[in-house]
Amino acid sequence: MMRARGRNFVIALAAIIWVATVLISYRSVRAFESTPGAPADARASWPANAGVERNLSGPTLVMLAHPHCSCSRASVAELAEIIARGPRNLQTVVFVFRPHDFQAGWERTAVWNAAAKLPNTRVVVDIDGAAARRFGAITSGQTFLYDRAGVLRFSGGITSARGHRGENSGRDSVIRLANTSAGFSTHSVFGCAIGGKS
Amino acid sequence: MEPVNGDDRDSRIDALTNERLTARRVRVDRMFAVLLVVQWLAAIATAVFFSPYAWAGRERAIHIHVWIAVVGGGGLILLPILLAWFKPGAPITRHVIAAAQMLSSALLIHLSGGRIETHFHVFGSLAFLAFYLDWPVLVTATIIVAADHFLRGVFWPESVYGTVNAEWWRFLEHAFWVVFEDIFLIWSCALATREMRENAARQIEVEDLSEQEQLKSAALEMAMAEMSASA
Repeated sequence: MMRARGRNFVIALAAIIWVATVLISYRSVRAFESTPGAPADARASWPANAGVERNLSGPTLVMLAHPHCSCSRASVAELAEIIARGPRNLQTVVFVFRPHDFQAGWERTAVWNAAAKLPNTRVVVDIDGAAARRFGAITSGQTFLYDRAGVLRFSGGITSARGHRGENSGRDSVIRLANTSAGFSTHSVFGCAIGGKS
Repeated sequence: MEPVNGDDRDSRIDALTNERLTARRVRVDRMFAVLLVVQWLAAIATAVFFSPYAWAGRERAIHIHVWIAVVGGGGLILLPILLAWFKPGAPITRHVIAAAQMLSSALLIHLSGGRIETHFHVFGSLAFLAFYLDWPVLVTATIIVAADHFLRGVFWPESVYGTVNAEWWRFLEHAFWVVFEDIFLIWSCALATREMRENAARQIEVEDLSEQEQLKSAALEMAMAEMSASA
């Protein structure tokens, strides 16, 4: 009798934990994934000390990424979609963060490898996030679109949430602006902090 | 020899069928207890492999996906495993297992970033749940998966469809394919249960015939014994 009562108590306790687990897991993951990182302090025109040359024959797309940010794999996947659907003369630069005292190669992750496979794309090591600071980026996955004249057309992220691939208004805006070079748009950016807390 | 009463025979068939169904459901409960643990470990492995850490520059911390897989996934399987242990074969056990299995699908879909391929886990799970030969279990599973898709589709579409622009009714499209599979699984459950009942009826028939034969042999032996005694 006592044993059956104890067993029922354990099951009732497990039932409470079960319901609480489902609710708390949903809530915490939802909060984490839909909370954007810090927005960029974007430069209205191509920075003079950008460290790379701007494309003079068409738009330039710049992404700043943390190599170990799992969310940024989705950003690079969306970058591939933009390049495929953007104008032929679009050129892309992906800066990948690495602290100066970290061993060379630390940045060669899936993010780097995926970016290196993209057409018309240069992948550059960003030592201590110097390029990120020059462009005003704080969060990994931050993307800027500059038109042929060096005017900023887009600043933001190109995924809908942390680590989620697929259609979203950020990506669609970049494709539209890269093809028209008119107007300006922004979008929340989801990812890890490039140089510190995001 | 007394004729076998029809009601009595039916109740014996029912009892034998239920006994076999219960034995089968106990085995399936145990199978799911193991499967839920394996899926939990797979969820942890997925989280550790794809998103082990959240980074802030040079600093790193355990990624929330790992915590969700370990703590959330662990909490999710606690109740069904306890029920499979303490109440194997009970209806509540298989309904809770069905719900936990569908929620495990939701967890895996989420950890894979809403990858459409991970949705196949739902269909595989329904096929496993059909092992119970209890169609209401499939209804429970379908309600859970439809509710999960509906709620996440409304409030958080990218986690289930991989896009924010999913139409509100898209859960109906997913639910349609689940129901499509359910129809055949429910039909196969009914068919298998009927076959199980037919096998039970045959076994009872064989047992009755064997009993009758034994009675006949006993009567024959008795008659021969009486004949030899009178001779």
